[in-house]
Amino acid sequence: MGIDVLFKIAGVGILISVFHTALKQAGKEDMAHLCTLAGFALVLLWVVQLLGRLFTTVQDVFKLF
Amino acid sequence: MEIIQIIGMGFIVTLLILIIKQQRPELAVQLSLTLSAIIFLMVLSKLSVVLDLFRDLAEKANISQMYLNTILKIIGIAYVTEFGAQVCRDAGEGAVAGKIEFAGKILVMVLAVPIIALVLDTIVRLIP
Repeated sequence: MGIDVLFKIAGVGILISVFHTALKQAGKEDMAHLCTLAGFALVLLWVVQLLGRLFTTVQDVFKLF
Repeated sequence: MEIIQIIGMGFIVTLLILIIKQQRPELAVQLSLTLSAIIFLMVLSKLSVVLDLFRDLAEKANISQMYLNTILKIIGIAYVTEFGAQVCRDAGEGAVAGKIEFAGKILVMVLAVPIIALVLDTIVRLIP
């Protein structure tokens, strides 16, 4: 999994900044903000899954209960 | 050679963050968070081997399993606390990072209480 999720997040970030600029130029401010929010939520989904795996691994390794 | 992989990932992520940071600082934070999680996961799988060795050694040396488990728990809490605090500090939230570190210190102290009590008991027994 490693590196691909990093590239996915960076790609979403670049894409969203492009969308944001385009929508802003078209005068759709609210849509631009919604687009940003959607991208943020999408990335947050991946990050939270990864963090959950990290914390369960830490709990397993160090026997934290 | 995992270290080469990790260094490469670090460089790539640094460059990506430099690109993204101007427009989307929140995604830059998530990117660095992901990188630290991935590196932690890679390192922890190695660490578990060492910890198993420590457990074996403690068993051979007849050290009570309780002490080793307490120490391991403290190390684990310290690792996770440091991880969380660094992510918050990178995002510019020094106050939140300070609170996380504070909570980690308190939890470590709570875990250490039985051992401190044992040490004090021993000292009291030594004094005639």
